[in-house]
Amino acid sequence: MSTPLVVVAKDSAEHKKWKYAQWLYLAGFLLLTPLVLEPFEIGKMNRALVLSVAILAVNLVVGFNGMLALGHSAFMGIGAFVTASMVQDENWDYWQVIPIVLIVGFIMGVIIGLPALRVKGLYLALVTIAQAAVFPTLVNIDELGIAARTGGPNGKGVSEEVIAPDFLQWLPGVTGARGGSAYRYWIIVVMIGITLMLVTNYLRSRPGRAVLAIRDNEAGAAVYGVNLPVVKTMNFAISASIGSLAGLMWCLDKGFVAGQDFTFLLAIDLIIGLVLGGVGTIQGSIVGGLFVVWVNDLTKRISIPLGLYTLNGDGPLAKAIFGLILILFTFFAPGGIVSLARMVQAKLIRVVPLAPSGEPIQPIESFDPGMESTRADAAMKLSIAGPVCLAIGWLAMNINSLIVGVFAFGFRMIILFAPVAVLVATNELKAHAEGKRPDSIKGPANTARLLGLLGTAFVIVYAAQRFILNY
Amino acid sequence: MVDDVFDEVGLKVEDLHASYGAVEVLRGLNFEVAAKGVSVILGANGAGKTTTLRAICNMCSTSGKVTLGEEDITRTGTAEIVRRGVAHVPQGRGTFPELSTMDNLMIGAYTRKDGEVRDDVERWFEIFPRLAERQDQLAGSLSGGEQQMLAVARALMCRPRLLLLDEPSLGLAPLIIEDLFERFGTLNKETGLTMLIVEQNANLALEMADYGYVIESGEITLSGSADQLRNDPAVQEAYLGA
Amino acid sequence: MNWNFDVLPDFIFNGLSLGAIYGAVALSLVLIFKATTLINFATGELAMLGAFLVYVLHMEQGIWLWLSMAIAMGLSAGLGVLIERTLTRPFDPEDHLPVVLITLGLFLIINAVAGDIWNYQVRILTNPFGKFPDWVPSLGGDRYVEVLGSRLKYQSIGIWLTLALALFALSLILNKTKAGLAFRAVSSNVESARLVGVHTGRTLGFGWAIASAFGTLGAVLVAPQLGGVNPNMMATILIYALAGAALGGLDSQGGAVLGGILVGLIQAVLVTWGGVVVFGQLYMSILQLAAAFLIILIVLLFRPAGLFGTRRVERV
Repeated sequence: MSTPLVVVAKDSAEHKKWKYAQWLYLAGFLLLTPLVLEPFEIGKMNRALVLSVAILAVNLVVGFNGMLALGHSAFMGIGAFVTASMVQDENWDYWQVIPIVLIVGFIMGVIIGLPALRVKGLYLALVTIAQAAVFPTLVNIDELGIAARTGGPNGKGVSEEVIAPDFLQWLPGVTGARGGSAYRYWIIVVMIGITLMLVTNYLRSRPGRAVLAIRDNEAGAAVYGVNLPVVKTMNFAISASIGSLAGLMWCLDKGFVAGQDFTFLLAIDLIIGLVLGGVGTIQGSIVGGLFVVWVNDLTKRISIPLGLYTLNGDGPLAKAIFGLILILFTFFAPGGIVSLARMVQAKLIRVVPLAPSGEPIQPIESFDPGMESTRADAAMKLSIAGPVCLAIGWLAMNINSLIVGVFAFGFRMIILFAPVAVLVATNELKAHAEGKRPDSIKGPANTARLLGLLGTAFVIVYAAQRFILNY
Repeated sequence: MVDDVFDEVGLKVEDLHASYGAVEVLRGLNFEVAAKGVSVILGANGAGKTTTLRAICNMCSTSGKVTLGEEDITRTGTAEIVRRGVAHVPQGRGTFPELSTMDNLMIGAYTRKDGEVRDDVERWFEIFPRLAERQDQLAGSLSGGEQQMLAVARALMCRPRLLLLDEPSLGLAPLIIEDLFERFGTLNKETGLTMLIVEQNANLALEMADYGYVIESGEITLSGSADQLRNDPAVQEAYLGA
Repeated sequence: MNWNFDVLPDFIFNGLSLGAIYGAVALSLVLIFKATTLINFATGELAMLGAFLVYVLHMEQGIWLWLSMAIAMGLSAGLGVLIERTLTRPFDPEDHLPVVLITLGLFLIINAVAGDIWNYQVRILTNPFGKFPDWVPSLGGDRYVEVLGSRLKYQSIGIWLTLALALFALSLILNKTKAGLAFRAVSSNVESARLVGVHTGRTLGFGWAIASAFGTLGAVLVAPQLGGVNPNMMATILIYALAGAALGGLDSQGGAVLGGILVGLIQAVLVTWGGVVVFGQLYMSILQLAAAFLIILIVLLFRPAGLFGTRRVERV
């Protein structure tokens, strides 16, 4: 495939269709997750989403400002302990604690960031790594009422349970066995949505542009009048308050916080999530959180007997696998999963930007392959691949091997591309009607459309069936 | 193609291209440096002078052909090119500020395996007595002129066949520059060392050089003997301020 | 308040001997930082691995302790060279993120592999300086000598002597050998070093080798104070060493050693003696690690280049 399957002008009707399709997938994913998963799996999902917020905070410093922050576990811890203490000891509501947590995080960010960000170089990495190492010990201090507030080495539980209020009880999924965690899932999703919106706007604002300018060319930004220490510190402090917010969400989700949860290893988990997802992209942070939890879960199940010795992923080696992933990604996929996904996307669709006149900078027709088009064939292959992979995946899921299982699981996802095949085939048939394609494309295009429609229908029916089965 | 203008060619550069990322800085340079002679490359800021010297030493991504004497050194690594006898005094002198003057000279002889290093040090101390006085001082504490002397002396420590000098006059007082160029001239006459100097100070450079090139936007636009260039109206207007 | 000066020398001796080890690890950090402007976060784990090599060679294979140490230092030096060649050289050192990620990845891998092989239990490693040797008059067989009314352990004396010897050897290597000269040249100006014919890659590998060997030495010496070797033994020591390096100046080798010693003294005298003995506040002992963090913050606030470092001028 030299040219992408679909070429659309930015903001054209067809481009919007693509965008809606993406939103639809995202919405379907979000909606189905709490309905389909078991309660303990929803718990994991919640944990992943909380990590996503923290990774977003790290990304703000590392990905968008080019500074190295390695200690956000401490900010999470601060947020979590402040929340636990306010809710448990002072009987506040969670939403009342949010501003407190944000302000405390911001102040801590200024205190830690300012000394390090006044000077150029790796100093922020130095300070933050020490910060991450020190934090768990500070929790245990008996004096000043600290241990009383944090629960010391025993950790602190919050007895108030987060459950859906009566007026939301009619919603599917917030009642019954998985009610608690599913409700918390929704709260977390809403909070993430708001956070994402704020962060996106922040990055587009004047200070946000200064932050990006510093990453791209520090000296250049300084020359244009950006006050480097102030902007860097402010950005770090905002990142710290988002990290604290993640801590609040952690407390809200688990109802229990302990110093051992916020060690240097959590900080490294955040960095790994950042790299896995994609440094410097908003989507990367979200994807990164999901993958950290998923990979962590996966490695635990690895057990490969090697003669006398069994390679066991459920022990310390889980961390080694993370380390290996970190190094491999740094070498071979520095853009993370998001950049890999973008490569796939580039094969499928190309969005042509608009010139100031509102016209595409290059006419869409110029991308049309004309009589030589192979798009119909590609669409057919895509539409056939869906069901075939689904079938293979289904069969392979029965093989009792983790690696095969993972691939089989991923394999089945190809069915999700069925609507793409329908869309491309329809386009090709339209072009054929206009006399731009030879008759020979009709067969493949029709096949692609038919199989694609079946595949789409299958996806919808399957989702509906899962939904009904659970209720 | 390059006409063989010289009886004996010290360095020959053919169709040299160089780029930093997507920016092409040199677009097909052709020039020669006469053995035992002094050649100079003149040009304004950003014309590609420094890049030319860096490209000769293979310090940026290049294409084309660079021949030292009879050897093709286009694809040779920088460290190996130095071993073949090319000494490069980079722009901004490139001394080792945290090392003493003496250590700076000793590292200059890094590629040598013979036992005459000490004799050479003595020799350069005779020529540059200021360096002898300051042999135990850190190079970073020397004055600009002294650092330039040190950089040249360090480059000469590897007993080069070809000395590349990148804007030796940069940031120095006029009196010191004149003194420095005088020393370069003497050095060339006494030892027959081949020199290629890149300069903005055209007056001084043409005074001591035998042959010169003018480089503009990554291309050689003019070449000729030093006298020819000095009398060329275009050169006079652009570089000599006449 | 309880100004108990009688026990103060105890704390000073303890601080000095811990500080010497922080200094050794800080030196390991600084050797690499100075040449590449990279903070090697895997320093501590490499050192821990070296200590385990000594454990295997000496405790399990029964090789003479000092020979085991020499072999382990050689092996970790080789590992350092290998890491430099395969993992860090492909990246532009000016771009910090990839290299830091690599060292963090190494941190995880080494720690986890060691944990998988040797579990997370503390394993006893023979103290090279347990008792005064018999040839020492009137002290042979004792664990300590009375100085100023306090017990100065043979272990402390041994640590000081060993590290002094190692530092002397290091300064000989750096100042009197050609490879050392090349290393100093690369640390000072990479570009110019290449222009005098130094193979910068090999030279950086040499730096990694020395740094790793030094880290191993530090880990072996500190092991008896921790009760033995275990995979997490270097976690806090690395933080103290970072504080020491920051205090002394990240680009000063002598500064790193002195900075490490100062951090050890601050930890033992200011925090433990001052806090616990004088003011009777037990929580002060929890603050030992926090003190390292505070030192880094304070140094950055008031003297970012450290006590002995030079402020690098940023050229644009």
